[in-house]
Amino acid sequence: MDFSRRSFLTAMGLGTAAAVAGCATTSPSGSSAADPTGPVEGDITFLCALFEGATGKETLEGNLLKQFNEKYPDVNVTVDYTDYGSLNEKITTGLASGLMPDVVTLGVGWIPPFAFKKAIAPLPESLATRYTYEERVLEPSRFDGTLYALPMVLDTRIVAYRKDFFEEAGITGTPQNWDELREVAKQLTVKEGGKVTRVGFDPFSIDLRQCWETFLFGNSGELFSADGRQVLFDSPEGVASLQIFLDMMADGSADFAVSTEAGQPTTLQQGTSAIMMTNNSLYVQLQQQSPELVDKIGTFVLGNTNPAMLQGGTMVSQSASSKNPAAARALVEFLGSPDAVLVASEQRGSVPAISDLKDSEYVQGNPMVAFALENLSKARSEGGTPAWMEIREKIKPTLETAIVGQQTAQQAIDQLAGIANDAIGRL
Amino acid sequence: MAGIDLTATSPRTTLDVVGRSPASRRRLGRAALYVALGVIAVVMVVPFVWMVLTSLKTPADIAASPPTFLPTEWAWSNYADALAAAPFLTYARNSLVIAVSHTTINLLVASMAGYALARLRFRGSELVFLGFVAALMIPTYTKIIPEFLIVRFMPLFGGNDILGQGGTGWLDTWWALIVPGAVTPFAVFLFRQFYLDLPVELEEAARLDGVSELGIWARIMTPLVKPAFITVALLTFESSWNNFLWPLLVTRTDSMRVIQVGLSVFRTENDTQWAFLMAGTTLATLPMVVLFLLGQKYFVRGFANAGIK
Repeated sequence: MDFSRRSFLTAMGLGTAAAVAGCATTSPSGSSAADPTGPVEGDITFLCALFEGATGKETLEGNLLKQFNEKYPDVNVTVDYTDYGSLNEKITTGLASGLMPDVVTLGVGWIPPFAFKKAIAPLPESLATRYTYEERVLEPSRFDGTLYALPMVLDTRIVAYRKDFFEEAGITGTPQNWDELREVAKQLTVKEGGKVTRVGFDPFSIDLRQCWETFLFGNSGELFSADGRQVLFDSPEGVASLQIFLDMMADGSADFAVSTEAGQPTTLQQGTSAIMMTNNSLYVQLQQQSPELVDKIGTFVLGNTNPAMLQGGTMVSQSASSKNPAAARALVEFLGSPDAVLVASEQRGSVPAISDLKDSEYVQGNPMVAFALENLSKARSEGGTPAWMEIREKIKPTLETAIVGQQTAQQAIDQLAGIANDAIGRL
Repeated sequence: MAGIDLTATSPRTTLDVVGRSPASRRRLGRAALYVALGVIAVVMVVPFVWMVLTSLKTPADIAASPPTFLPTEWAWSNYADALAAAPFLTYARNSLVIAVSHTTINLLVASMAGYALARLRFRGSELVFLGFVAALMIPTYTKIIPEFLIVRFMPLFGGNDILGQGGTGWLDTWWALIVPGAVTPFAVFLFRQFYLDLPVELEEAARLDGVSELGIWARIMTPLVKPAFITVALLTFESSWNNFLWPLLVTRTDSMRVIQVGLSVFRTENDTQWAFLMAGTTLATLPMVVLFLLGQKYFVRGFANAGIK
């Protein structure tokens, strides 16, 4: 059985939260505590997985929170910074101990699990319409039709390719479906002395879970039923979305060993791949590391039967047990406003969640962010079930068993479906 | 083996088949040993050198393909920029306080416990020892939530009442950072093994001379297990200095954060600022390198005696 610290903590934390609530002064269910009416004042904590990097703290505390305090001088915000990898542990321990931070950042797919546990408070629907959002962007902010979070930044998984390699190979258009992708990838693969020096397609430089999900949605598949209680990814579409990687490896146009190493430029930058799955933040990386390649790299949205782009991102939500719910609500609304969203996006090279910002200088100056914003109608999100936090940790290692040949794509998907069904059954 | 005289010596005792004397063979063997050790040393040192050199590279140099060993442009400003990103001096001070506290407490309490388990006869001592051995096998992550709840509901601290309600307990305090994990079962185990090896005559003679049990532990036996103390001290300091998850979970303000949590600021979801991360890591590694250089003789002896690696 695969065991990771995150899945263990999630299971333990979410499982024990209700039991511990009896010991806690502030119940995690705390529905009565989340009344946002009343004076906007008091001390609140903000668990923040954004604003990392050398300039992050100054951007948030030196700029944004100053603006917030000008508007709400009686609110004192303590920022609890965490890296994204430990965010779940921070929330889980906070939830288990009855000390949820007043305002939290959450990842895409995280709303159903924490809303189901009543750890986060519902937000008024009016916040969903005060700015222009693509409906796809708001989807992961909802649970059972109710809004629980405001999206701040998006990180989309897109396909990037080397225009110069396409030109050399005489390829004029980007692939429109998987058959074309396989053909083009074979054409772009370069072998020297029997050794592959350039793969046609590199799907392995992003998280395998996210890559498979992109292909699943592009093949008209779904992860779960609308109520999140039924596994749907064990469909022929789901199996085919994993099988395509195995087929391309068999073609010699993809290789599990050829992917971007930590700290190294991407395979696309190194010229060891011609097409790769990547993140929209690649543009910032290109500017810093390989400015000569900026004009040589293009992007497209791939699909088989339905072009799809995976949308990750960070949302901001309010604890259901905040002792100062009005102050917490004010901070959530502020962080979800265009000023804060734009600054947060710019600081980390992400896509602003508000469509109105497409004309901003930042978006106009970053072609990959602009591309992602233009294609948000094709965006799809992971998650969709209250059991997601437990399931998500198991997807990558289970899929990898097929990639390394330990079992077939069908067997890996069946195994994953079993894990997901068990997790859903425990709800 | 009949017919073979194993004790027979070759008539050529001073020169081998190619005419080398034993002294010459020893020199050759020693040279080969030095070469092998040199190669191993280089392999061990290269990551550290690479870390230091990366801390002085520009993003373009870091991304160079193929990678270059030396920076084309020495970016000394990486250190200043990294230090400006967060209050690293505060983080370093906190890490130092915690590491020194853990080391002191572990040395004192674990050595006493190890001594008691090794040298004192009391009912249930074997069971207590087995308890420590069993504790060695509990994965760290399985203890996090129970430990977190104990810390959070600590009575009469952080606004909590006698039942541990109403406040935050030890969260975001030195107590939470220092007390849990201050004494490790591994250290108790290690000390016990060292104390077991000491001759019983020493403590018997001391008892006949009227030395108290505490005196026997402190003045007679403990000076003889110095390598164990150095080993436990270095291991405790190192693990405490490098601890990341627990300090992250139990603190929320900058004034209580530690160096490893501070360094994580350079690892973003989309990217890692390698130059800054390596600059910060270089600075964070320095105390450990200095400590090792100071105590390496005892450290190696301690490991050899304990049979661990």
